[in-house]
Amino acid sequence: MADSTEVPKHDVIIVGTGPAALTAAIYTTREDIETLLFERGVIGGLAAVTDKIDNYPGFPDGVEGLQLSSDLQKQAERFGAVIELGEVSAIHDEGEFKRLTTTSGDMLAKAVLIATGSDYKKIGVPGEKEYYARGVHYCATCDGAFYRDKRLVVVGGGNSAIQEAIFLTRFASHIDLLVRSTVKASDVLQHELDDYVKQGKVTVHLGTTTDEIVGSGEDPTAGVNKVIGTKDGQKVEFETDGVFVFVGLMPNSQFIKNTVIRLDQIGFVITDEHLHTNMKGVFAAGDIRSGATMQIASAAGEGATAALKIREFLEGRPHPIPN
Amino acid sequence: MPYLRDTAEYPTRYKRETNMVKNITIFTSNTCGYCQMVKKYLGTKGMTYDEVNIDKHPHRQAEAQSLSGALTVPVTVVTRHDDSQEVIVGYNLARLAPAVA
Repeated sequence: MADSTEVPKHDVIIVGTGPAALTAAIYTTREDIETLLFERGVIGGLAAVTDKIDNYPGFPDGVEGLQLSSDLQKQAERFGAVIELGEVSAIHDEGEFKRLTTTSGDMLAKAVLIATGSDYKKIGVPGEKEYYARGVHYCATCDGAFYRDKRLVVVGGGNSAIQEAIFLTRFASHIDLLVRSTVKASDVLQHELDDYVKQGKVTVHLGTTTDEIVGSGEDPTAGVNKVIGTKDGQKVEFETDGVFVFVGLMPNSQFIKNTVIRLDQIGFVITDEHLHTNMKGVFAAGDIRSGATMQIASAAGEGATAALKIREFLEGRPHPIPN
Repeated sequence: MPYLRDTAEYPTRYKRETNMVKNITIFTSNTCGYCQMVKKYLGTKGMTYDEVNIDKHPHRQAEAQSLSGALTVPVTVVTRHDDSQEVIVGYNLARLAPAVA
């Protein structure tokens, strides 16, 4: 391990660049707290790959996820935030500084904000892995264009599934929406979905599990041609050219699984009411935090809170660290 | 300084120069966040590229699929001076960074 004197030192390192991370960076950098952010994927996180965001305050007509992310990035960079494209693979407590192992080498930070968000869950059925990106997808805004005038299956019944199914109607000739129990999306989204159901573009199959994704042949590059499920104890089949899966979120916390930072049973980061983890000087905000509401507006709010708490910490006004 | 074929360093330098990037083509779509990231990364490295937007040019979608074997964008095609090609599917820094280095 390199000597601390040779390792770049930062006031704050934020892991992630979603709405929580970028909002925190806006707050820290506006107060002249030097801040470096790390992003291994897309700047803006899941928000950036969401077609349209209708419930973020201040946008009466909604806003494209990519646009919101780009604007948040510009705002943070205007105040001096620096975004490094790379990955953080470990965090170690070295007292005054935390040592982060990154793709750009080791770095030290007085305070760290974990804001790595979450990613879409897999359903874990036969065919899902085999046909990944060749008929099974988790990003409608990336891959939807490949399904012009094709039939699709969308799996899920929450906000993301309904939002993305609606987005995919611009390409697909028809969508079968497979919902394990009932649709749990917001009323607004459900009303919008109803319009597509009435037009015959979407058929909703409630109480329907997704059991297997079947390909066109032995060659996985040939793509998928049907989904097999179960409804009322009976086997059901849906002919399709592709499957988009939106069945909930899993935390991006693999990189801290072997640290002392406490995670809940699912893997979300546990914090106190100050968003402080049990590692002194390490905070968490947004979708990665245990108890988060998985809303962009909430994530932005938590980012602001985390930044203010980090400032207090850096000024030597820390609150008690949770056990 | 020109190098001579009979010097010991010739094979290494020859290989390095023929393997230099000749051009880069990125297949993208209007709504793809990961496509923006590939363009941003290449921008930070000062690299130029051609962009094929499959929403604007749907007839070239099959080309992206043929090159990548996948139904997704971004697809980045790095062509070298010896006309060898490397195809990177998605925004994959671990593969993109060395491919354009």
